[in-house]
Parts: sequence; C-alpha cells; structure tokens
Amino acid sequence: MMTNTKISKEKAKELHRANRRWLWGSQICWNYERMMSTGFLYAVLPTLQKLYKDQELVDMMNVHNQFFNTNPFVGPLIVGMDIAIEEKEGSKAKETVAGLKTGLMGPFAGIGDTLFGVILPTILGSIGAYMALKGNVTGAVLWILVNFAVIFIRYPLLRLGYQQGAKLVNEYGERLNLLTDSAILLGMTVVGALIPTVVNATVPFVYHSGKVTLKMQSMLDQIMPSLVPALLVFLVYWLLGKPKVTSTKMILFVLVLSIVLSAFKILG
Amino acid sequence: MHIEVWQIILLTLLAFWMIIDQLTVVVLGNYPLLVGLVAGIIMGDIKTGLAVGGTLQLMVLGVGTYGGASVPDFLTGAVVGTAFAVASGKGLDFAIGLAVPVGLLMVQLDVLARFTNTFFLHRVDKNINLNNTKGVERNIIYGALPWGLSRAIPVLLMLTLGSKVVDVIINKMPEWLTDGLKVAGGVLPVVGIAILLRYLPTKKFFSYLIVGFVLAAYIKVPMLGVALIGLAMGLVYYNSRKDGVKGTVAVGSESEVATDDDEYED
Repeated sequence: MMTNTKISKEKAKELHRANRRWLWGSQICWNYERMMSTGFLYAVLPTLQKLYKDQELVDMMNVHNQFFNTNPFVGPLIVGMDIAIEEKEGSKAKETVAGLKTGLMGPFAGIGDTLFGVILPTILGSIGAYMALKGNVTGAVLWILVNFAVIFIRYPLLRLGYQQGAKLVNEYGERLNLLTDSAILLGMTVVGALIPTVVNATVPFVYHSGKVTLKMQSMLDQIMPSLVPALLVFLVYWLLGKPKVTSTKMILFVLVLSIVLSAFKILG
Repeated sequence: MHIEVWQIILLTLLAFWMIIDQLTVVVLGNYPLLVGLVAGIIMGDIKTGLAVGGTLQLMVLGVGTYGGASVPDFLTGAVVGTAFAVASGKGLDFAIGLAVPVGLLMVQLDVLARFTNTFFLHRVDKNINLNNTKGVERNIIYGALPWGLSRAIPVLLMLTLGSKVVDVIINKMPEWLTDGLKVAGGVLPVVGIAILLRYLPTKKFFSYLIVGFVLAAYIKVPMLGVALIGLAMGLVYYNSRKDGVKGTVAVGSESEVATDDDEYED
C-alpha cells in the first residue's frame, strides 16, 4: 500500500498460491490438539520447500505444525508476515516466527471474529431472516453475494502482511479497533430492532371477573410495545452470565419453558 | 410422504459440502438461512426452506463456531427439517420441532469429527519427520473426510430410514406439544439475541440497542431502514474519532489518545 516494495510477477504468484492454500486448507484438518497448526503449515509449505532442504526443512515444518488458532479471515496477514520474515532471515528466524504467530493469533482472532464472525452475519442474517419469514428470498441472496465478495476482500490481506510485516500491527492497530467499534455500533442497532420484529411472544391470558374482562396483552402493550420479548431477552442474557450456563442449555430451557407456558395459555 | 432418491443424494451432498464450506470459502457459512434456502430449492419449495432456515438463523445469531467450541448444528437441522416439512406438508412448526432436537444431537458428531482429525495430525507429524512433503499435504487434506462424513452420514440415514419413523412421530404427536413447539419457534430467537449481546460489549453500546428497539417497536421502521440508520451512526462515530487515533501510535499511544479532547474511551 504505502511502501515501494515492488512485488515481482513470480512473487505475486507465490503469494497467490499461499492465499489459495490458506483459503482451502486453514481449517480442513482442525483438531482439538493443535487446532489450525496444519492449516498454517499447508499454506506456507511451498515457500518452506523453496527456502530449505533436508533436515532444515524438517525442522521448519515442525516449527509450523505447532498449536495455532486464529480467525481464518484475517489469518493471511500472519501468513504474509511469516513469508516475508523467513525469506529475509531464513531458519535463523525460527523463534521470531514462532513468537510472531503466537503473539498475533489472539488479537487478530478478536478483530476477525468480531467483524466477520459476528457483526457481518448479525446484520445480513437479521435482514435475510426477517425477509425470509415474509417469504422473500432477496435478503438471503444478497447475503450469499456478500459472502462471495468477502472472499475477494480477504485476498489482498496476505500481500499486505507480506509488504508491511510487523509494522502493520503498530500502524493500523488503533484504527482497526475504532473500525471494529463502529461496526459493533451498527450491529447493536440492528439487534435492538430484532427484538420486537423476530421474537414472537404474546400473552393470550384473559382475566374474567363478573362483567369485567381484562386482556393481559393490551395492558402490556400500553406499558411498552414488545415488552415480553424485551424481558425474555433480558432474562436469558442474565442467565447466560451465570457460571456453567451454556447456549445449548439455554436453548433447551427456552424450549421447555415455551411448551409449559403455552400449555397453561400464558404464552402464545 | 415421499422424498425422491435424487433429492436424498443432493441433500446428502449438501450436508457434506456445508461443513467444508464453513471451514473454507464461507459462502453458505454456518448460516441455517442459506442452507435452508438450498435445501428448499432441492425439495422444490423455496418458501418452506426460507422459513425453516430463517427461524433457525435467528436462534443462532450470536453463536459462532470460532475458538473450537461446538455449537448446536442447526445446519443439519435445517436440511432435515426442510426435507421432512416439505415431504409431509406439515409446514414450519413441524420442521422446527424436528430441527431443534436434531441440531442439539448433532453436537456430539461435531465433537467426534474434531477429535478424529487428531489422528491425521499425528500422521502429518510422522510424514514431517520422514521429510515426505507429499504425505504431509495428503494427510492434511484427509481432514476433510471426518468433517464431511460427520454431517453427510446422519443426513443420509435420517432421510432414508427416517420417513417411516417420522410418519409415526407426526401422527402420534399430542396437541399440547405441537402448540408448544409453535410458541417455542417464536421465542427461541431470544437465545440467539442474548448470546450475541453476551459476546458484544453491550454495556458500552447499550444506547444504540435502545435506538434500534424504539425504531422497530414504536416507529415500525423495516430492518433495512434500521441498518441504514445504524450505518449512519457508525460513520459518525468513526469519523469523529479517527483523528484522535491517527498515525504516530507506536509506543504509549493509549495515553495520547486518552488525553485527546474527544471522549474516546477504552
């Protein structure tokens, strides 16, 4: 971007290949023991083969098959940095590279998971699901198109990492945090709107006493529209903060609660 | 009820692909809405596919698969739910009643796949030490098999053997349960939303949650309109703060930023 480092055609090809291998390989052998270690190894393997031979190659392959876990969308930045460093320093950089990988995988996972794993699916998923429930396919198709676009947005990251190296984290770190925050703000607004639109919980309970009938729901509506959905969200949010409460348990809890409350005509 | 053989084959392939997809290119991702759409196309009923996928989507909004945690597999739920709902003509509530338990049970197979790949990891180790790079590559790629089969086999089994079993379930299900499931379908998105709020810095951005809520609940602004207002607020937020965090950075940037006269807080 801002450096003058020219990238030769041959180099561009090599980076392109690493990118492709990361895209297809980064999580394909994901496992509990070392998570994405094999994915990183798979992406840089051709580069390793070019740089090293025999025992040195074996050593470096072992270096890259150690525990690694980050967000697959922004991972190419680390791959790019690694290739740049190893090209310059060779296997001397063994420890630098290992430190760089473990040092960056956490922060990068944080930013990448928030932007690509949570905010983007929240916004597009909310719009898409909202339309889908009305029988409209537009939102879902839009989402698929955006996902295709993201593949190409991911692509320049490896090159950026290669050109900028470790400088990148220092120069753009704060900006990235601000960008993430702004995206969260947008996501938060959409989630606020989701509560009244997609949660469907009304109280059909009607109170009879002599000639007086009280409709529970219209009373609740006078306090605030969508009061029950808002309270339910708050309840589950609060419960999720308790130790040992998992999302799976919460789904079961809400499932059972709905069935029981509907049997007593409290929820409908 | 009847599902054609070619439909079973395509749905099984979809089941294999959808997990590979979310590990690689992320076009369908781990998004039940999109998988439901594809299953709906295969079953020749896009509307049902969308409704099943959309409902499940709202339940898993905040549930990411990152960091290695296994979460309810509502993708498989969407495939099976859509297929049986269309084939039986029983509609959305029936599909959700089927998809949720399937999704919860499938967690076990996700764990199994993640575990099985340790086997290939150790074969990669062995090949590294033999300096056999071809073997290293091959064993990494084999990792796709446990992943894909952990979804494809259960879907195939449920679709081929299941129709009779499902017939029984349909006819035997009591009314209080079908009514309850209908209610649950409306309430379950609460879990997705709450998980999402747990993940996000909700306390810091709570005001925007209120803005979104009021726009939709009181003023009835459609979702896309709310998103646009959110985008506008996000741009204002970014632009008003970007000068405070510009350039120089390196060391001690935190305190520099904090002393700047805008209210950027950490």
